[in-house]
Amino acid sequence: MEIIKTSNLKKSYMLGKVEVKALNGVDTSVEQGEFVAIMGPSGCGKSTFLNLAGMLDTPTSGEIYLEGNDVTNMNSNTRAEYRLKYIGFVFQFFNLFNELTVMENVMFPMMLNKLSDYKDRSKELLNLVGLGDRLHHLPSELSGGQQQRVTIARSLANNPKILLADEPTGNLDTKSSIEIIELFRKLNQEREQTIVMVTHSPEIGGMADRILHFRDGTIENI
Amino acid sequence: MPVDLRCALFYSGKDIFKNRKIFIIITLSIILATANIIVINGLINGMIEDLVDNTVESSVGHLNIYPDNNERFIEGIGIKEQRLAALKEVEAYSPRISATGVLSNKELSVSNTILALDPDKERKTTKLLEKLIRGVAVNSNDKNAILVSSRLAEDLKLDVGDEATLAFENGIIKVYTVKGIVRTGNLDFDSSTIIMPINEAYRQLAIDNMASVILIKLSDKSMTEMYRPIIMQNLDVNNIKTWKEETEFISNFANSWRSISSIISGVGLIAAAISVGIVIYINVIHKKRQIGIMKAIGTNNAFIFTVFLMEAAIFGVIGVSIGDFLGYLAIKYFEANPFYDAISQTWISAKFESRLFYIVTIVSFVVTILAGVYPAIKASRVEIIKAIWGT
Repeated sequence: MEIIKTSNLKKSYMLGKVEVKALNGVDTSVEQGEFVAIMGPSGCGKSTFLNLAGMLDTPTSGEIYLEGNDVTNMNSNTRAEYRLKYIGFVFQFFNLFNELTVMENVMFPMMLNKLSDYKDRSKELLNLVGLGDRLHHLPSELSGGQQQRVTIARSLANNPKILLADEPTGNLDTKSSIEIIELFRKLNQEREQTIVMVTHSPEIGGMADRILHFRDGTIENI
Repeated sequence: MPVDLRCALFYSGKDIFKNRKIFIIITLSIILATANIIVINGLINGMIEDLVDNTVESSVGHLNIYPDNNERFIEGIGIKEQRLAALKEVEAYSPRISATGVLSNKELSVSNTILALDPDKERKTTKLLEKLIRGVAVNSNDKNAILVSSRLAEDLKLDVGDEATLAFENGIIKVYTVKGIVRTGNLDFDSSTIIMPINEAYRQLAIDNMASVILIKLSDKSMTEMYRPIIMQNLDVNNIKTWKEETEFISNFANSWRSISSIISGVGLIAAAISVGIVIYINVIHKKRQIGIMKAIGTNNAFIFTVFLMEAAIFGVIGVSIGDFLGYLAIKYFEANPFYDAISQTWISAKFESRLFYIVTIVSFVVTILAGVYPAIKASRVEIIKAIWGT
């Protein structure tokens, strides 16, 4: 089943008076349970594609379908609700809430989604990412790799259909990077988690089921 | 999707208590601003109430009969007193003569008001003759004794037993012995008044059966409006003022003071509220990326707005509650322990007024909340992509 599908997806920005075409007609799809890596040179539109697929941004033209639903023109509140329930995000710079503990960071999306068992579930998820002994630590008390694992636990909080990761290892050392990708593989294999990951690293991209190569705002080959 | 207030409160609380020093300083400014308004207004209320009480107790009756326009005296006092005595609700009355004079002690002289009264009737009507700080009151039959108000005595360096020369407005000059010193708490009265028996004033001013004013004490001072027309009809007089009208100038004075203190207190409160707004605004600026992430994981604009408005509300609830409590304690303390004001030479106590308390609470809270509106709007309008990438 196609969980993400885009049709002639375009996105352009105005840089002063110059129009920059970040995406120039992307047609692609991702199957449920797939682990897809997006690769390509800087400025080729990888992150822009991820932002559009994750409903963080709106396209200039074209369509985006998530689970067969056209989400292209949803209003901002519906998009927010969709992101909360169906999409998990992992960013390069971890982006945890510094004033919340590790457990609270993971609990927060579940509280927003009005889940009642958020405490137990956040412990489960933190155990899953190997941080069961760091529940009450603040993010500033963790290493970069550990912080990224908290972000992954948070992204899984509401059992999302899709996990979108934008250079999740871009800010980590090699050892931590391998741990994170192994965690992604585990989630993909054991929980059939659909993962779309942007990366610059051929080694890390090579661990995915499939690689989408972006160049100049389009997909070079599949 | 409606905003989950519990979730918004959870994040606001965590965010606001993160920097405890700033939290304490900002909350303290709201506490002091709120307590300041309560205490200042409580003191003004107490001062005004004391002034009104002093004035009503010593200078005016519940109803006060004055001469008709263009007349200096009310004539035929005797018959009017008889008719007053026949009225059921009239408890007492006291005719007074007001004149002017110059009181001298050696080379010191001061223009003053001569207040002539019948001590026996006055005692039944007002507490003026109980306001002696030294000496004793004059009697109806005293011919050479006067009472001197406290400031006048100070200015002329007079004390009980001293002799002073009084020049009446008609040119008659007579030496009197100071029998007592009076202090009422009414600044105007205390600064330049001498009191003498009305019979002595009649003699020196060559008048009789007249009064400048007749003070009437009713069994219930709230009945003044009802009794005014009855007295006007029975005594055939036209010019009667109630104690409220007589003390209107104090109310006007109080309102002016309240306006000034409200402006000063308002400035303090707004300054405190602005500091709340600035702290939240700076927080929003520093947190742009986190706000972007919050939106990315599924919060909508209304939720973000609520989070930051709730921060202002938390400052408001804690600051205003503690400010209310401290203000209340201070008012109760000053109610029980009046302090002496050397300028007016009276004891000033505070008066707690629940209406004022509620108004201050609501206004302080609303102003604090309003201060959070702009930063909250700013936060809710953060664009996800720009926030996350810091562009």
